[in-house]
Amino acid sequence: MITALLAGMSLAVCGAQMQTLFRNPLADPYVLGISSGAGLGVAFFVMGSSWLGASNAPAWLTNLGTAAFAWMGALAVMLIIVAASKRLKSNMTLLILGIMIGSAGSALIGLIQYFSEATALKTYVLWTMGSFGNVTGNRLAIMAILCITGLGISFINIKDLNVLLMGEEYAKSLGIHVSRVRNRIFLATTLLAGSVTAFCGPIGFIGIAVPHIARMLFNNANHRVLIPASAILGAGMMILADIISQMPGSQSVLPVNTVAALMGIPVIIYVIFKNRAVKL
Amino acid sequence: MIPFLDISGLYIGYSKRQVLFENINLQLHCGKITGILGPNGIGKSTLLKTIAGLLPPLKGSVVPEGFPKDRDLCAFVPAQPWRASNFSVEDTVSTGRYRYTNWLGLENPEGKRIIEGVLKKTGISHLAGRNSADLSDGEFHRVAIARALVQDTPLILLDEPTAFLDIANKQATVLLLKKLAVEENKGILFSTHDLSLALKHCDLFWIMTRDKNLFYGTPAELNDRGIIDLLY
Repeated sequence: MITALLAGMSLAVCGAQMQTLFRNPLADPYVLGISSGAGLGVAFFVMGSSWLGASNAPAWLTNLGTAAFAWMGALAVMLIIVAASKRLKSNMTLLILGIMIGSAGSALIGLIQYFSEATALKTYVLWTMGSFGNVTGNRLAIMAILCITGLGISFINIKDLNVLLMGEEYAKSLGIHVSRVRNRIFLATTLLAGSVTAFCGPIGFIGIAVPHIARMLFNNANHRVLIPASAILGAGMMILADIISQMPGSQSVLPVNTVAALMGIPVIIYVIFKNRAVKL
Repeated sequence: MIPFLDISGLYIGYSKRQVLFENINLQLHCGKITGILGPNGIGKSTLLKTIAGLLPPLKGSVVPEGFPKDRDLCAFVPAQPWRASNFSVEDTVSTGRYRYTNWLGLENPEGKRIIEGVLKKTGISHLAGRNSADLSDGEFHRVAIARALVQDTPLILLDEPTAFLDIANKQATVLLLKKLAVEENKGILFSTHDLSLALKHCDLFWIMTRDKNLFYGTPAELNDRGIIDLLY
């Protein structure tokens, strides 16, 4: 339950910041390629270790290795983006770069999958479905520290995010170091999305949908309202998804990723049709 | 001494290979309202942005002389300011006080008074609680001017502040700018295509001509020298 709470808060707050930074209502933790970076890391680890004949390794090592590689993958993508952001002036170009990195990541994952064994493939696919179940004890503590740090930085970003909403040129005219602010936002989003993805698997749609729900409910895009509102709604929605995925009265557990997607997609479709709300 | 901006040997443009205008030597004084005139694409916006520090000069320098060091030097109002929807006019104006608000961007009582005063001065008090996205272009332009005013800078640069306004609003905007120059000793620099309005209200003209010359002087002076005719 605590894991779901943290994951929901992190993804929603991360999504809200990405949407503002890119001024794109469909931006979310995944557009920058962070999740596919994490996925690539996990693919390398899971399928690489089976090549090395390490498939008999104890479960805790596999778990920790998965998380560590996911994080490294996410971090690597972020470093590329930060390096690129020094040269690319426009956020739109960065967004396209992120999408390209994402596609490249997926392609590489496909390649690795093609050459890997069935058991390793299954481990990987299970990770991609997402789960809160095995995030306990030390792993939960690590995830909590990373997520809370990321949330803290996000709250510090509030004032700058408000200005960025009115354009980078305006931010610059106020004497704000836009590249520094941008890096601070990247740091927060990678901490948030990278950690959640590393420990719980890639969970989509919460990051896109929740900030829009927050905007619709509170009718206020000021980040002083939007960031805390996204955090609370994200936590609520994720816990709900977690409850549904455990299917009360049944033994089996649905993949959380699927439940979140089924909950998030109607919201996104609603947002698309109710065009007014899409504007940032 | 009246503080001024000393522009010397300035080359402007977006890249070294594409210089828009060469060797600009000018001074921008506080307490005066200056209009930049010239054909489209000559580099009026680029010049404004370079002076405002939004674009780096390709060569040469823009040096402030005699300004207080503890404040921002100039505020910039773009031709088409971006709006954030679901963002109230009051909050939008308040972002101009970035330097003065706390880490959450919240105002102290003095800041609230300043904002109230500026909203009144720009004639948009009645819009304070409205969503910026619902305003007309003319109304939002005034919000952008208010946002620049609360920045409390000695210089204000505006890129075509009258472009999308009706006749009454054009007049009102230029009169407001003039009032700021006269009563608050601000240095106002704006680009415009409204020759008649500019002739009537500007203290000084900068005229950028097609053959890449920049003429400088009072409207009357430039008219006598036949330079205003070069605009046609």
